[in-house]
Amino acid sequence: MTDFWDVYQRSETGPFVKEADFDRQVGAVAALAVKKHGLRFDREQVIPADDDLADRMYQAGLDLFLELGIYCKDSSRLIKFSRSEVEWALQHAPVSVTYGQGRETRTMRFRGVEDPNPPFCVNTPVGCTVGEERFVAMVQSYAQEPLSDTFSSAFSQTVHGRPIKSGTPQEVEAAVWNVLKLREAARAAGRPLIGIHNLISNAEKTDAILAAMQPELGVQPNDGLAVAAMAEMKVDYERLKKVVYLNHSRLNRYGLYGPIMGGYSGGPEATAVVHVAHHFLGLLAFGAQWHDGFPLHLMQGCNSTRDLLWLIAVTGQALARNTRLLIGVSPFTAAGPCTEMVVHELAAVVLAATVSGLHLNLAAVARNKLPERSSGMEARIGSETGHLIARKRISRRQANEIVKKLLGEYESRIPQAPEGKRFDECYDLATVRPTREYLDLYERCKEKQSRFGLNWS
Amino acid sequence: MKLMEQIIEATVAGDQECCVSLAKQVLAQGVDPLQAIEEGFSRGMSIVGERFARMEYYLPELLRCADAMKAAMEVLRPHLGEGQQAGGRGSIVLGTIQGDLHDLGKNIVRTMLEVSGFTVHDLGCNVPVRQFVDQAEQQRADIIAASAILTITMAYMPDLVNLVGETGARGRFKIMLGGAPVTPEFAAKAGADGYGENAAQAVDVAKSLLQAKKEGK
Repeated sequence: MTDFWDVYQRSETGPFVKEADFDRQVGAVAALAVKKHGLRFDREQVIPADDDLADRMYQAGLDLFLELGIYCKDSSRLIKFSRSEVEWALQHAPVSVTYGQGRETRTMRFRGVEDPNPPFCVNTPVGCTVGEERFVAMVQSYAQEPLSDTFSSAFSQTVHGRPIKSGTPQEVEAAVWNVLKLREAARAAGRPLIGIHNLISNAEKTDAILAAMQPELGVQPNDGLAVAAMAEMKVDYERLKKVVYLNHSRLNRYGLYGPIMGGYSGGPEATAVVHVAHHFLGLLAFGAQWHDGFPLHLMQGCNSTRDLLWLIAVTGQALARNTRLLIGVSPFTAAGPCTEMVVHELAAVVLAATVSGLHLNLAAVARNKLPERSSGMEARIGSETGHLIARKRISRRQANEIVKKLLGEYESRIPQAPEGKRFDECYDLATVRPTREYLDLYERCKEKQSRFGLNWS
Repeated sequence: MKLMEQIIEATVAGDQECCVSLAKQVLAQGVDPLQAIEEGFSRGMSIVGERFARMEYYLPELLRCADAMKAAMEVLRPHLGEGQQAGGRGSIVLGTIQGDLHDLGKNIVRTMLEVSGFTVHDLGCNVPVRQFVDQAEQQRADIIAASAILTITMAYMPDLVNLVGETGARGRFKIMLGGAPVTPEFAAKAGADGYGENAAQAVDVAKSLLQAKKEGK
């Protein structure tokens, strides 16, 4: 077995490698793994039902992790692990994680492929930029959704009227403000004890994050923090400092991984291999209790493209079939709120994820780039779709046929996707309720999806 | 096959050995090295850039092709005449801004700028605003290009533009911004001269900024 201090020691003593060389090695090693294991993206099998492919993908990810290791940016050294160390960590990985208190207690458990149990829904605007005066309303719109098992934060453009800059005193103030406002939003949603899976999304430095981890501000013992790997297969001491803090606290933690398809890894197959390997990184270096992926298309900044849907499905199946890890995915759509396209994109990603053993982190829309473009309705749409898919016991083969019809609705429009409406156009800010326009649009989309085989009746 | 076509083909294939061999043939046959660069290697890299933009090539292929071209350039550069030196397009100081440790986008932009003929001074990531300005002065750069991937680091971009103004250098440097959370509206509001949505657009923006600078605009 290894513990955190073994990881730290290896980051100080492992083989020295220049970062640029490591970046290139990722693609080279991934390409070899793709070839060795015969991995191939099939445009018609967007959600494959091929257990052998999933198992080969898993072995390729494990091979890559053992060969490559993790790169520590601060020391320029490799942190490497043996196969037995990885296997030990997998055997002793958490099998459940609980958020929330009292009647808001929710437990995430392992899901298998085609699992009839609904996905756990950690719902969030994924740090969407919003005006300070609308921050609480926006995050409340997520917290109040009945299927939100936990929620987290938007990104306020200012705090007390001042912009937030990393590494400044204002970053510390912003982190404290963020926690206060999240709990305020939970109370406003009528769910004061709901869990917050990631307490901070407006601070990068560890000192700012730790300053806000106080019960007096509204932090509950089993709220949590994300620890994000740096793409691809990298960590730094800023992240590992968070791990030390978490080791000494009762807070939950999850690993966050965003490999870029088209980037250093290469194409969909190679990026999928690297994505699987990131889960070993999170388990061994971060001690992550669960794992959240947001693989993205380099050019489109979303994961609703055909190749990314395949990647999400096959990596989910690879991990669900070969481990008991708690795994999830964050759908990233090209289109923004209150558009038919966003409803269909969300359905496509949620289909690929739900039948492949994944939980859901809903959702980053409008490429997670445009200010004010995010609302609790997207969390509702994604969560209800995920629950429906599990409840109806939709198989991977059925899901594949449906997803191809959904792709037919939006695939060609991804590069010019509509940016959608602002939060204050999607919701009545006084009541924090979605507009009739958005509700009607959602209903129309459900009717269309029912014709595609996703039966909402 | 004509020599230029062979060069284009070898560059698009990312065949470093072949590119170097063809560069030597250019010299042996008395062909103008600048012509070989512009009509051969650069044209090949344009095709590579287009394929990358369409995701027919991924970053590993882009880097392999860029390496092949750079190796050939090492052969040709000593033989370029005065005023023909590669990098003649202009000089750019590039980095990921203060507090930001993400460099994938910045590295892609660097590669695309380099193979498009710019001299790029890559300051790396987490670059303090002051360092951008100091390095631009020191390198006599034409353009300062900054990238951010986090909203909390993007907030330093207006500081960069302001500092260039405060140091009296606003007329000497064009400033371009990019990165995942950066929008054209944000870049314009920050006072930047240009914004690149992606690496290909960044090259086009850099070319137009350089042209504007030459014309005194």
